[in-house]
Amino acid sequence: MAEETGKKKYTYYPGCSSQGSAAHLDQSLRAIAPELGIELEELDDWNCCGASVGHIAGGALPTTVLSGRNLAKAEQQGPQDILTGCAACYLNTHGTNEKIKKEVALRRKVNEALSAADLSYDADLQVRHACEVIVNDVGIDKVKDRVTNPLDGLKVAGYVGCQTVRPFANTDAGGNYDTYDDPEFLDDFVEACGAQAVDFNPKTSCCGGSVSVMSPDKTLHLIEKILAAAKEVEADVIATPCPLCQTNAEMYQDAINKKFGTDYHIPVVFYSQLMAVAFGMDGDKDAALNRNTIRSKKLEAMAKKGAK
Amino acid sequence: MTAPLPQDATRKYDLGFARWVHDNIDGGDKLSLCMRCGVCSGSCPIGTQMDYGPRKLFMMIRAGMKEAVLSANTMWNCTSCYRCVVRCPRAIPVAYILQDLATKAVELGYAHKEDTTRFAKAFWWSTHRFGRTDERLVTTRYYFSFGLMDGILKGLANLKIAWGMIRTGRMHIGAPKKIKNTNGLRDILAKAQEISERDSGS
Repeated sequence: MAEETGKKKYTYYPGCSSQGSAAHLDQSLRAIAPELGIELEELDDWNCCGASVGHIAGGALPTTVLSGRNLAKAEQQGPQDILTGCAACYLNTHGTNEKIKKEVALRRKVNEALSAADLSYDADLQVRHACEVIVNDVGIDKVKDRVTNPLDGLKVAGYVGCQTVRPFANTDAGGNYDTYDDPEFLDDFVEACGAQAVDFNPKTSCCGGSVSVMSPDKTLHLIEKILAAAKEVEADVIATPCPLCQTNAEMYQDAINKKFGTDYHIPVVFYSQLMAVAFGMDGDKDAALNRNTIRSKKLEAMAKKGAK
Repeated sequence: MTAPLPQDATRKYDLGFARWVHDNIDGGDKLSLCMRCGVCSGSCPIGTQMDYGPRKLFMMIRAGMKEAVLSANTMWNCTSCYRCVVRCPRAIPVAYILQDLATKAVELGYAHKEDTTRFAKAFWWSTHRFGRTDERLVTTRYYFSFGLMDGILKGLANLKIAWGMIRTGRMHIGAPKKIKNTNGLRDILAKAQEISERDSGS
């Protein structure tokens, strides 16, 4: 079935940030997917994954059944793999899925809870990160082949962050697609787009995650180090796969400048936005560059030049 | 819900506590593998800001320092970066243990004033009510959990960020986005809560 159209189908789980702070990840991912032979069918009536705090107020099992419900809905949609672009959605949904597969008693409890809404998860689905799918299913050569508007001269600091690679990137179930401390996939994406991947030491340093959202005073120095490293290597943009990394590194630059006496003004974009521009797609409609609060003039000019 | 703690509250060192963690904390049965190497604490992005890093906290569990462990700020400073999980030479699921300690600490009445607990409550309110996270409402409820004045001040301090998000279409105006079957989700969550309570035997 998949072969006929030349596209492989995935059940797409966008996650809550797709309707808010990371709308530009969702928009650009949906734009580049068909170009890479990926067909995204949205998961029907998907719910929140619980992110990194749900369990504290909701409890362990209720948080587990949040993912359980999404898995059960995905099972109804077919045996194809689930794909998500969000680091936290991946962490929780993939983690829960693998746990349920191993622990029979847990699956029984999850299904008992799901039965309250006539749902059940009995399948053996795979939950995969969009980046892992691009590495393992699409292949970097196909990305390279699709580039019509190489991002010549754009210096990109590839900022992977945490949960995109930890703790699953180097596991069998996680597709063994990269390492935990020095992953290369993002730099490969950047180079495939014709841009220059600069050496970026804090590529897997933490932005503070949800702690930065609730108590920025505890973690602004973490983001400052990331920005400092990008500035030192004269990166034009920081590129990341993670919704929270993107938001934290972008929205706190004013607060950081105030606190540390710095003058950062560095655009932070998603890898998928870079790909959309490199594929010659529309800078706003496809790459969603107008959804960055710190805009990259250089990237926008490249988009204008490349779009047909 | 959680099994009741060992009850000898008069003692600073309660040797039943390590057993309680072993039996009730997800991953707690792996704690005995800890060889105190400190890779977890050394890898932690804000470990230096914690009362005790994970290594020390685990030793305190072994020593039975129940109150000190459940009142520690260690769990509330975990950013979920999972460095400790992938680096632990004994494959102890460090961050997962901290997360479940956080959950159980709140269930047992600790840490209700912590930022993370306030934030988690606002977060769960949105998830339970809409099936999704409404970033605007979660943040607003969180800010106002500190009181009216604090809420207004925190809101004002972040006005520029909020405006940037609205301007770029990353924060919408209007009704919250929600799932179609909110009732079904609430039934599932209520059932899960019921199962937890039943199975904790309390």
